[in-house]
Amino acid sequence: MTFLKVRELKKHFKDVKAVNEINFEVKKGEIFGLLGPNGAGKSTTISMISTLVHPDGGDIFYKGESILKNPKPLQKKLGVVPQEIALYPTLTGYENLRFWGNVYGLNGSLLKQRIEEVSKIIGIKDRLKHQIEKYSGGMKRRLNIGAALLHEPELLIMDEPTVGIDPQSRNHILDTVLELNKKGMTIIYTSHYMEEVEYLCSRISIMDQGQIIASGSKGELVEIIKGNKRINLKFDNISDTLLGKIKEISYINNVEIISDEVAITTNNGEAIFKDIINKVSETDSSILSIDVKKPNLEEVFLHLTGKALRD
Amino acid sequence: MRIIDILRKDLKIILSDKKSLASMILMPVIISSILSFALSGSFGGGVSGNTSQFQIAIVKEYDDNEQVDKIHRGLTSSLIAGSFDDEQRSEIVENALDLDIEEIFFEQFLGNEELKKVVSYRVEDRESAMELIRNRDVAAVVILPEDFIYDMTINLTTPFRNIVDIQVIGNTDYIIGSEVAESIMSGFADMTSSMIIGKNIFIETALSKGANENAFEDIDIIIDNISGIMDNSGANVDYIQLEGKTPVNSFQYYAVAMTTMFILYAAGYGSRTLLEEKDNITYQRMIIAGTPQWKIASGKFFMMFIFAFLQILVMVTYSSLVLNVNWGNLINVVIVSLFIIFSVAGLGTMIAAATFKAGNYKMASVFDNLIIQIMALIGGSFIPLEVLPRFIQNLSFLSINGIALKSYLRIMMGYDLGSVVSYISALLGLGIVFIAIAIFILKRKEGLRHA
Repeated sequence: MTFLKVRELKKHFKDVKAVNEINFEVKKGEIFGLLGPNGAGKSTTISMISTLVHPDGGDIFYKGESILKNPKPLQKKLGVVPQEIALYPTLTGYENLRFWGNVYGLNGSLLKQRIEEVSKIIGIKDRLKHQIEKYSGGMKRRLNIGAALLHEPELLIMDEPTVGIDPQSRNHILDTVLELNKKGMTIIYTSHYMEEVEYLCSRISIMDQGQIIASGSKGELVEIIKGNKRINLKFDNISDTLLGKIKEISYINNVEIISDEVAITTNNGEAIFKDIINKVSETDSSILSIDVKKPNLEEVFLHLTGKALRD
Repeated sequence: MRIIDILRKDLKIILSDKKSLASMILMPVIISSILSFALSGSFGGGVSGNTSQFQIAIVKEYDDNEQVDKIHRGLTSSLIAGSFDDEQRSEIVENALDLDIEEIFFEQFLGNEELKKVVSYRVEDRESAMELIRNRDVAAVVILPEDFIYDMTINLTTPFRNIVDIQVIGNTDYIIGSEVAESIMSGFADMTSSMIIGKNIFIETALSKGANENAFEDIDIIIDNISGIMDNSGANVDYIQLEGKTPVNSFQYYAVAMTTMFILYAAGYGSRTLLEEKDNITYQRMIIAGTPQWKIASGKFFMMFIFAFLQILVMVTYSSLVLNVNWGNLINVVIVSLFIIFSVAGLGTMIAAATFKAGNYKMASVFDNLIIQIMALIGGSFIPLEVLPRFIQNLSFLSINGIALKSYLRIMMGYDLGSVVSYISALLGLGIVFIAIAIFILKRKEGLRHA
């Protein structure tokens, strides 16, 4: 039996198809990644899985049972880490954890024990007595995660949990996610940071404009762009003449300017350098550097949508 | 998830908010102290400023015809008659009978244009008058004694002095109105004393112009006697409180006025909390965890309930210990407080639901910055209602603080719980209506949960 199955899930807001008949499955014990740019429909999807938003169509099955018909079994075993810091700023870290423990029905010595364990996992044990409005952004994020772990959920949904924090806290959070997964927790991780999803997730679905445009393991997704090379070129001067000359090379699939570089994709890596040098020599521009990119999910997204993940 | 867990969290949040605590608990303490001292004169020692018109009932204990006979008999009796010859005596009797005391009292005095702006009167028998004052239809009852006409006539037409005891029975509900009635009657007493003095000077002058020496051989003694008793002669006004109830002073009034006004801010504070939870995503987080919406809203209701109770507790304790305010029977105060708080918490929950539905804080802000001020004004929290125009007095029943203020004041005056049943029933009814509206709004809002 599939741990979580999403079938033909649909949600429209007026004329906007936020989620448009998507399908995917999450297996027990895996970290499943939902990758996509802002506005792709990731948050709406997890809001529907969390039972917060009712879909316009389709269904979600938790251990074979529809959560639309009976949300209680999932709600008891579900932990959600929202993108926002969903905590009470004027309360202390301890008071926040105690309240969220209460929300999941924990009380007394069991709650105390869980607060102890969770505060160790998220690494803020020594700051629990302080009001969280005095915490750093990273500490708030960690407490935000801790509040979702108190009842030892089977399924943890993390919606962009590392937005706006320092690299140290980010690394701590990523390590925490791996550690929780090692203990058997199933995790759905959404992010628009390709590196995080690559680092954490065993299977990934890429979303764009409310649809899943590709699914699989990282290796399977990279296979999509097998043979495609991405080359970033830096010039002293980027002109229309230069771009026109490069586009004359027949086996170049795509040319775009990203920041101060010209990014090209091609499936002929053998002759490309010679032809580029010849074409550039016909212009006033000179090549400053050439960077051949290793295929990654960013490339896959670019290949599939024609735009960068962070656009 | 238990409601008590939500309540404990909400109370911790409000108790950690020093700014809100200061404005909702310290402010009423400070403002009530200032107003009590500043306006103490307006309560204990007369009235100043513009007031609306009060109605009084006048009871004539005398019989008109009997009084005329008595005047005739009195002026021809040996004591008085012995001082005058026949011609003078018949002239005095004629003048006395021509003197219309009722006209002086009702038309010249109470009918004075300036006085009519302040007080209007109706003549009633004693029983009806007492019924009117009990029903708070009049601010005071003025009782003109059995021999009012006779005594006043004697005082105004002869050198003799009879004591006239006019009773003013004040309704303690009309703190200022009954004071005004007493002041007016004292004014009448002063006026008649002035008339008597003038009359005595007239008699003295008449004697000096050649009145019968035998008849007036003891006039020096009479004049001396008149002068001697002048200070305590004429009309006396005895002020009596209705049924022995104690009137409230400014300290009591403003302790209640500020308490009933500031507990509305507990509703104002609570009205924001539901939408704040949503904006902070904590609301959604609770819903995801399976917490029913009604439990979240109930937590807000009880938070406002307990906080308002805390406000009242602080005010009652402070005003009792520091301002020496007597709140009356403590059990009754607690019972009345519970009904008031129920209504306030219901109001706050209703506005919280509407604010949540609207998705912005405009409604809560309008309540905080405008509605509470209007309720404070029409409810008598700033100025005692009885000095405000009648239509504002009628509006006071639309304000929780107005009803609450009346309930507390009656308990302070020594009334029993039965006398405030209509008020606490109104508070209970309002509370139930507010909660019902809140439920209706939130049930409709539930649809948006799925949006």
